[in-house]
This record gives sequence, C-alpha cells and structure tokens, in this order.
Amino acid sequence: MHDTAITQMMPGAAKANTRLKTGLALGLILVLVLSLWIGWVPIAPTELGGIVRVWLGMEAGQDIAGKALVFGMVRIPRALITVLVGMGLSAAGAVYQGLFRNPLVSPDILGVSAGATFGAALGLLMAGSSWLTIQSLAFFFGLTAVGMALVIARVVAVRPMLVLVLAGLVVLSIFNASITLLKYLSDPYNELPAIVFWMMGSMSRAQWGDLRVAMPIIGGSLILIHVARYKLNVLSLGDLQASSLGLNPGIYRLLFIFLSSVMVSVSVAICGQVLWVGLVMPHIARTLVGPNHEEMLPVAVLSGGIFLLLADTAARALTMAELPISVVTAFIGAPLFAYLLYRNRGSGWS
Amino acid sequence: MSIVCRDLHFAYNGNPILTDVNLAVEEGEFCALLGRNGSGKTTLIYCLAGLLGLRQGTVAIDGMQLAGATRGDIATRVSLVPQEHADMFPFRVLDVVVMGRTATFRFAQRPGPEDYQAAYQVLSQLEAQNLAERNFNRISGGERRIALLARALLQAEGTLLLDEPTNHLDFNNQYRLLEKIKTLCREKGTSVVASLHDPNLAARFADRVVMLNGGRVLASGAVDQVMTASMVSRLYETTIRRIETDDGEVVFVPCSTDIECHGPAADEMETGRWT
Repeated sequence: MHDTAITQMMPGAAKANTRLKTGLALGLILVLVLSLWIGWVPIAPTELGGIVRVWLGMEAGQDIAGKALVFGMVRIPRALITVLVGMGLSAAGAVYQGLFRNPLVSPDILGVSAGATFGAALGLLMAGSSWLTIQSLAFFFGLTAVGMALVIARVVAVRPMLVLVLAGLVVLSIFNASITLLKYLSDPYNELPAIVFWMMGSMSRAQWGDLRVAMPIIGGSLILIHVARYKLNVLSLGDLQASSLGLNPGIYRLLFIFLSSVMVSVSVAICGQVLWVGLVMPHIARTLVGPNHEEMLPVAVLSGGIFLLLADTAARALTMAELPISVVTAFIGAPLFAYLLYRNRGSGWS
Repeated sequence: MSIVCRDLHFAYNGNPILTDVNLAVEEGEFCALLGRNGSGKTTLIYCLAGLLGLRQGTVAIDGMQLAGATRGDIATRVSLVPQEHADMFPFRVLDVVVMGRTATFRFAQRPGPEDYQAAYQVLSQLEAQNLAERNFNRISGGERRIALLARALLQAEGTLLLDEPTNHLDFNNQYRLLEKIKTLCREKGTSVVASLHDPNLAARFADRVVMLNGGRVLASGAVDQVMTASMVSRLYETTIRRIETDDGEVVFVPCSTDIECHGPAADEMETGRWT
C-alpha cells in the first residue's frame, strides 16, 4: 500500500474527527456567549455597549450599572469557571477510565471527592473560617484521600490496579463516615444546611478570585494531560504490557492520578460535588471518535465544558430558585449514560 | 550470544519459583520451554523480559545486563508476546501494533506517519495487513496473536519472548504461527524463547529445548539430544512413547493402559498428580 494511504489511517487524519473537534470548539464559544445573556436579570445584547461604557467609567446610570455588575462580576466569571470545571472533571474521568481499563469508573473512585467534601465540611464547622480556608481544606483533604489510597495500595503491593480500587473504597468509606459524623455534630440550624448545600454542588459562589486559582491549576493540568495523552493508550493495556513495551507504569500512573486529583479537588473546593460529568463525557467521546486517547481526550474535554455550562445555565434559568447543579447533571447524565450503554453494546468490551 | 541467563533464582513471597536456571540462546535460535503447569515457564519468560526483580543471578540480552537498565533500554532489545490479553479498549489493530514504538517516544511524543508506516509494514510481512483497521476485540484469537506478534516485531525483532503462543489457536493456526516465527529466526536472526505445551511442536520447530520441573532445569540442550522418550516421560510424569515416522518426523504419544509401552515404568512416577 502507498505511504499516503497508510498516513490516512492515522487517528488524527480522519476528516470527520477534525470537523467534530472544530464543531465542539465553536459550540463551546456559542454556548458561552448565550449563557451570558440568560438569567433572571434581563440583559439585552444591545445593552453590551452601555455595560462596557460603565466598566470604562464613561456612563453611570443606576439601571445599567447594576446590569454591568451582574454581567461582569457574576456571569462572566461563573461561566468561565463552569467551563474549566467541566473540562477538568471530564479529563479526570477519561484518565481514570483509561488507567483502570474500565469505562464505568468515575474520578471519585480513589475518594478524592469525599476527601475534599470532608475538608470543606470541616472548614464550614470551624468558627470564623474564611472562604479561602474552606477551599484550602477541601483541596488539601481531596489530595490526602488519594494519597491514602495510593499508600495502602503501595503497602499491599500486589495486583496494583485491583488493590487501588479496593483501597479507594476504604478511603471513600472513612471520609463518608467522617462527613456523617461532622453533620451529626454540627448545629442543625446554621451549619448543617451549609454542609448539605455544599455537597449538592453549585456554581453560584464562583468569583474572579476563584478563576485566578482555578485557571493555572486546572488549565496547567489539562495541558500536561493533553500533551502526554498517548501514554494513556499504553497504560490502558495494563502494567505487564506497558512495562514490556518500555513505559514505566508506576511513574506515569502516579503523574496522571496526581494531575486528575488536583483538578477534581480544586473543582470541589470551588463548587462542591458535581456528579456524572466525569463518567458520561469520556463515554460520549469514546462513542464519537473511538477509544484512542489521542482523539478521544480533546473531544471529552470540549464536550465536558459544553455539558457543564449547559447544565449550569439550565440550573439557574429553569426555576426561580436555583437548582443544585448535580441534580441537573444527574437528570441529563444518567439517562444519557443508559442510552450510551445501549448504543455501545456491540463494540466488543469483554 | 543473544540471551544469557546465569544462576537465576526467583522467589515470590519467600516461595522459590525458579532455582538455579542457566540458559543461553544464540542468534537465530528457537528455544522452547517445556514443563508442566506451574513449572515456572511464564516466570522465566518474565525474568528474561526484565519484568521481575531477580533474587539472584543475571540476565543479559545482547551483552546488556538487565539489572540496572532502564525500561526503555530493555524494551528496544527484547519484546514479549504475553499469554493472556486482559480486557482492552476496542482499539484498532494498527493502533495496537504501533504501540510497539512506545519505548522510543519522549514525554509528549505520539506516533507519527513513519511509525504508522512501519507498523503497517510489519503487518504486511505477516500477511495480516487486512487486519489494520479492524477492532482488536472483534477479531479471532489467531488474528489477535498475529497482531501482538506484529507489535513485538515492531518493538524489537532481535529477541522475541513468547508466552504460550499457541494457546487458544486451532490446529492449523498453531503450525502457521510457529512456521512464521521459525522463518523470522532464519531470515532475520531473531532469537526466540517460547513456552510450549505440546512437545510435538517443540520437536518440530525448536533448535534447543529447556525442560523445567518445579522451577529447576531438568534438562537442556539440542532437540534430538534432550527429547528422548525417557526424558519427556520424566518431564510430564507419565509414560510417553516416542515414534519416528518414515519421513524422520518425531511424535510423542502418551501411553494408555491398553497399549504396551517401552518407557519408564508408570509406577516409578506419581502419574496421578495434577499441577
């Protein structure tokens, strides 16, 4: 066969994939723009000029100034953080599914979300703790949970992937029990509702300050995972084959788990637990472009951003009181997942 | 000398699996590992691939000591076709084969056009180019073996380790696969170590045989010296006849009670033992 014909077989050469990725990128921008105009404070696209003039200090009308505040201090940072979190959770899900060779694994498998939620609950209970303290505790305990799972697996030292899943279960149970204990000990009128609302997940707390933290951490992790994504193909074959092919599975697995856990911890610290994104989006990407991570990871990341932004826009626009975002992601994600299981039934999983 | 393994000892959780194994395979030589289930064949192959830490002894591939070498250095010299393929994502066969180049990639590197061309070429050499775009999980067991062999050849065609390559293959495919591997030995000077369950395949394709029993080398040497009726009977712990056909082919047949055998008496061995 001619060389160019073989080059056409490369995963990146498929024109349909390139079109899909371009379409998703354009779709993300479109959804981002649309979400800025949707909400309970009506802002017409024609008012953008006025808003910009307020920002520049050239106009000072009462009505337009309020809208400028909503637009600039609430909607823009919220939309950007939502996209980042959606991308991060989706990438983390793709990484974990690849590492565990299992399409039914979510980023929570090593207890990162439970640990981060415990940290946040602890912060909410400590009198006078600032927002930053709560977020730092969430981030710290998220990584602690994963670290504990890794240490347990390291000590057991046989069948690393299986033991890692079981160690994750151990850590998850410990942190979930601790969360229940904290809830039990908390003041039922103020602290308990705060913990419960945190666990439901919401983007409503997102501010520019959060973006300044999330952007370098989630963005940097996404870039590293993106450039090293081919290694996920090899790691997904299991330790034995990865080693014999010349890849050090221990080091690369640790790197990928660390980057994913950092992204999930930051996400939980900013907006609480958001379920289903990390499970369903990699699955959709695999259905669309196949399992090769070279193509699948960018598609998963882009669709994760779109999905969470749509879910958040729906959460704040559908009803007067804002819905918890996990309710929306679960109501969309769970049926979608069932449909994907049905669609992929013939792809040769077992 | 391509593979030299000296005084190799391996233990798992304190249980010795391999004891004092010595082995030398020259360039272009096909070495068969024979032994009952649990005799240490797979463990020996993993030790030769540098996948297990040795308790004692040395393994050298093309003069390079495996102890202290990096995974990448080992993988560019010796390749492995593993026995079981655990659950895999439904990758295309070409994507599976191109992973043979993994050891040559830097951190952010992905396979480029020349890697895919090389992968396709190896598949063509094995007359399996029609598999290139098929789903690895949807092809037959024999086709999967060929695809994994192609990956191993792309990785390192100097030294090839095969863990029970004929498992799950039909009668025809067993011979075709070993025929292909034998051709590689002859034409490219590939050194092969393969664990086999069928002494007849070993007698037909191997140049050299290593018999393992309980992790120790029972016998090793050229096929016609080692594969006698009494040695094969001792190896498999049952009475076995060696029949030479008119064409000079050698066949081993286990004795059943109603056929008179001229081998070691059955009562000298623990014939009823499952391993």
